[in-house]
Amino acid sequence: MDFFSNIGLGFSVALSLTNIFYCFLGALLGTLVGVIPGLGVLAAISMLFPLTFHLEPTTALIMLAGIWYGTTYGGSTASILLNLPGTPANAVTCLDGYPMAKQGRGGVALFMTTVASFFGASFGIILLTLFTPVIAEYALQFGSAEYFALMLMGLVAASTISEGSAIKGLAMVVLGIIIGLVGMDTQSATIRFSFGILGLLEGVSLIALAMGVFGVAEIIMSVRRVKTADVDPESLKLKAIKPSRDEVRRSWFPMLRGASMGSFFGTLPGTGPSIAAFLSYAIEKRISRTPERFGKGAIEGIMAPEAANNAADQTAFIPTLSLGVPGSATMALMLGVLMIHGVAPGPNLISSQPELFWGLIMSFWVGNLILLLLNIPLIGVWVRMLTIPYHILFPAVLAFICIGAFTSGFSPLNVWMVFAFGVLGYLMRVFRFPGAPLLLGFVLGPLMEEHFRRAMVLSRGDFMTFFERPISATIMALTGLVLIWGVVSAERSRKRQLLSEGEVDHTPEATDRPT
Amino acid sequence: MYRIDYTDLVGGVLLVALGAGVSLVAIQYYPLGTLQRMGPGMFPAILGVVLGGLGMLLALQALRRTGKRPDIRVFSPLFVLAGVASFALLITPAGLIPAIVSIVVISSLAELRIWPVSLALLCLALCLMAPLVFVVGLGLPIPLIRWPF
Repeated sequence: MDFFSNIGLGFSVALSLTNIFYCFLGALLGTLVGVIPGLGVLAAISMLFPLTFHLEPTTALIMLAGIWYGTTYGGSTASILLNLPGTPANAVTCLDGYPMAKQGRGGVALFMTTVASFFGASFGIILLTLFTPVIAEYALQFGSAEYFALMLMGLVAASTISEGSAIKGLAMVVLGIIIGLVGMDTQSATIRFSFGILGLLEGVSLIALAMGVFGVAEIIMSVRRVKTADVDPESLKLKAIKPSRDEVRRSWFPMLRGASMGSFFGTLPGTGPSIAAFLSYAIEKRISRTPERFGKGAIEGIMAPEAANNAADQTAFIPTLSLGVPGSATMALMLGVLMIHGVAPGPNLISSQPELFWGLIMSFWVGNLILLLLNIPLIGVWVRMLTIPYHILFPAVLAFICIGAFTSGFSPLNVWMVFAFGVLGYLMRVFRFPGAPLLLGFVLGPLMEEHFRRAMVLSRGDFMTFFERPISATIMALTGLVLIWGVVSAERSRKRQLLSEGEVDHTPEATDRPT
Repeated sequence: MYRIDYTDLVGGVLLVALGAGVSLVAIQYYPLGTLQRMGPGMFPAILGVVLGGLGMLLALQALRRTGKRPDIRVFSPLFVLAGVASFALLITPAGLIPAIVSIVVISSLAELRIWPVSLALLCLALCLMAPLVFVVGLGLPIPLIRWPF
């Protein structure tokens, strides 16, 4: 029984003392970051990224993954208590969670969302365990043309499906690829776009880019905007968190539907937890016999989206680990960690690094159990976190970003790169360009160039190779469809938005951005 | 509300300039090769053209529609970025602790208010914590303080 021995191997890795410790640390930090509005997942992961240099790649990934799914657990806390989503994926939870808190049922809501999160995550992990190896095996027959097509589809989907203008998303992907070109070209050893700076020979640092564009820029936009919380401690006493029997009964099916939706959208490039949460809320409201309860504290309205976003968090690893093609910026960072540690991502990963693959997946169980324990008895502690004023928080975060950047190469150059990307990130926010496609383009760019050049060599310079090979042609056709659909739907939503908004000046929600 | 979308217009024009710059540098300095055997200049040259094209589309669209006022801020980016720059300047000549103090103090000015007690406590806490995590915990060789004279 190969399957069970693999799972056994995974647990033996995940249950080592070091890995449990870092898994705990990741989950803890993730919850913390998720709870605090004005500090996003990407900023947090990139901030802690330098720490992982000094760890084994498996341990590093376990910790970073813990931060990733931990934020979604924590994010619901701010949504419910403050009506402010801790992460964009928890935005829908505000709709019914905040009314519940106002009715004095905040404790119930927090408890039940934790249960839903755990349920969704478990659902996602099971799918991840079953499907990733199958997909990877199928992907072994892919050639360079297929990979190029897949990456292209990932980038196009990520830039057009996420909100905002498709043109801007695509432009940021291209800019990301261009930034990824800086440094030595692997095939001809030519040095490109280094402007004579020696430190740039190895290329732009992924960490500096992520910390600048997401960390520094986010701080700039949040200063003097994020308000400190005011929470009623009475609703959070342990005895106030017990749900009624009716609430439990009504939660089962929304959780199941949410988890299925989330698992599906998690695997697709460009969709991910936020869209999964929104859609599952919409579905619950549509099929409910009492849709008028939604928005006034309906338990279904928090269970479905919280199950969905956590399931999506887990299944997002399927394309990343089986194909080496990340569907979101966070997954691109995970891939970046692998590459920095010299592990080549792709369908061979599972067979060449079984300890890493199975260990990581089994650590998700450990991490989610830890989160369950962290969240239910410690709700009060997390809520107190919300009362830390931002004027204390952001200089500390900034200091850690700079120290982290410095230690990633022991050179001030990396700190200057953070500075430069902070400027870029700020300009991008001013001109409303999305950040996630930039990061995806940056990570995928060098891989895409390699596959593109290799495919061109094999086909003797004939572009038709991408359209003649059946798998590649199918992916290309899908890419075209996604592109058209993205452009059309973006235009339509923009028109609708302008009509409904009228003269209203735009809202001060600097923290509420898609990751 | 503006008659045309100045935010996207300027953004688009900037992209065109950037794309043109990338393509020109790539064509001028790096060998293009042929499609079959692509040189190091080919991929960037193509990307520059694509970026410029997307910028052009964005700018053209912006002419046809109304736009909102952009969210431009002066003091937040100024102080936050100045803090980062001060860290970069101080870390090598002066060491970790002066760099931390300067980034914390300068960036906290972005709030346009000063809480002297909490600021001092924050500096103190970070100066104790950062060496503990990075130097003692991870064993990284960063000098804590260095006298430049």
